[in-house]
Amino acid sequence: MADPVVFVPLRQLAEDIRARRLSPLALAEVFLDRLERLGPRYNAVVTVTRARALEQARRAEAEIAAGRYRGPLHGVPYGAKDLLATAGGIPTTWGAAPFKDRVFDVDATVVRRLEDAGAVLCAKLAMVELAGGMGYRQPHASFTGPGVNPWNREAWSGGSSSGSGSAVAAGLVPFAIGSETWGSILSPAGNCGIAGLRPTYGRVSRHGAMALCWTLDKLGPLALTADDCGLVLEAIAGRDPADPTTVDRPFRYEGGGTGRRFRFGVLRGITEGCEDEVRGNFARSLEVLRGFGSVEEITLPDLPYDDITRTILYAEAASAFEDLIESGGIAGLTAPEDRYTAYARDAILAKDYIKALRLRGVMAREADRVLAPLDALVAPGRLTVAAMLGGELRSAIRGTARDVMGAVGNGAGLPAVAVPNGFGARGLPTSLQFMGRAWEENIILAAARAYQAATDWHRRHPADA
Amino acid sequence: MSEADPVQAEVETLLALVRERYGARLDPEQEAGVRTAIDGIVRAARALRAVRLGTAEEPAQPFAAYRADP
Repeated sequence: MADPVVFVPLRQLAEDIRARRLSPLALAEVFLDRLERLGPRYNAVVTVTRARALEQARRAEAEIAAGRYRGPLHGVPYGAKDLLATAGGIPTTWGAAPFKDRVFDVDATVVRRLEDAGAVLCAKLAMVELAGGMGYRQPHASFTGPGVNPWNREAWSGGSSSGSGSAVAAGLVPFAIGSETWGSILSPAGNCGIAGLRPTYGRVSRHGAMALCWTLDKLGPLALTADDCGLVLEAIAGRDPADPTTVDRPFRYEGGGTGRRFRFGVLRGITEGCEDEVRGNFARSLEVLRGFGSVEEITLPDLPYDDITRTILYAEAASAFEDLIESGGIAGLTAPEDRYTAYARDAILAKDYIKALRLRGVMAREADRVLAPLDALVAPGRLTVAAMLGGELRSAIRGTARDVMGAVGNGAGLPAVAVPNGFGARGLPTSLQFMGRAWEENIILAAARAYQAATDWHRRHPADA
Repeated sequence: MSEADPVQAEVETLLALVRERYGARLDPEQEAGVRTAIDGIVRAARALRAVRLGTAEEPAQPFAAYRADP
């Protein structure tokens, strides 16, 4: 039986902390203990940041006692994907053996903003090496071992924010920060039965985060609920002079009920290739959505969406890791296929990359045109439940699966939130995603909250956590 | 390889480039993996090339002339 402070949504934790019914120091101790004791079970943790956590928790306790309450994350533990730089001698490994001892002397902007909000950094969380940018095909692609799913320890937790997904699902931290270039927040959230929010490109500073693809990388929260994700997003969003892609659009999270009806769209044929359970759970989810909104089928123009985003991703990743690739340093990576696949990226012609960038503009306009009359496009979060640890991964990034929502959403920089919507094969969770127009995180979060208010999938937790 | 198989012709040409640069590091199994990856790259590129765009359709990426203050 988990401690009663585990699997508690942020709003409740915050209220108990603010009212001093819950000590930030005691809370940190609970989660530090779980990270140290249970983290290895899921290969979820790279570094437990005990000293920094206790120092931050003591500070939070003192400030709250003195009446200086900072807000809903004050005194709340969290974990950061290990591609976010952390000062103070804490390694930042990018999940990759060649960087396992590397230390930065600054905090990433997101880490600093969470510190400003009073949150308590308890762990650097495991990830697929180099955020999966070198072409991995199976879960054994991190020097900390494959991410293990808390719902079924023979299954993968997802990637590339593997530890961010499993740590939240197993109650090792109340929330985590992940990154998504294509699928790396929504995939582990869906695989692990939690909520994950991919913000609009430019909403959250990537300063201090590992660069995989400059025009695709986003940072966002994974947490128990869509509401939790909104609370975290408010703390980390905003312009940052150190990241020129961030924009001056302040984000104020509008939590609570909206009392309005929503208008949802579903792309024609979106469940083609889905596992039966995924398709069935999605159909049942649509029935739930019809309880507070309309659902209509829509189409996108015929464009090579997956090819557009894949070409951009491959080309930029090859450039970002040019030194590692050309020096042969990729030979030190864990997944055998990561040790050579990136050599193929030299075959991408500049003209084709530019064409992808030109088509990206068309894609972004078409996506916005389709989304403009809607509140959100909805779709299964993933075509399948989590892969087994010994299995080959189907991936739209490699072209072995289709993911129009992911290709358009990431290629056009659109926000999406995934929430659990049932279970499929082998007792593994399935998920539902809501994707909105650029900068409309509040709308998709409101829709996801409405769905979660009508269902209880987010209140179910792994039996052995 | 033949005129009827333009994809493979392009794959082989690009593979020769990669082999020239990195061939010494690749065993036969790895080179086969690289070939598969290049095949995917070529097929994606051909899909992109198949869409015709007007010259006014610029790349969707920001660039601004730079000048340090003042």
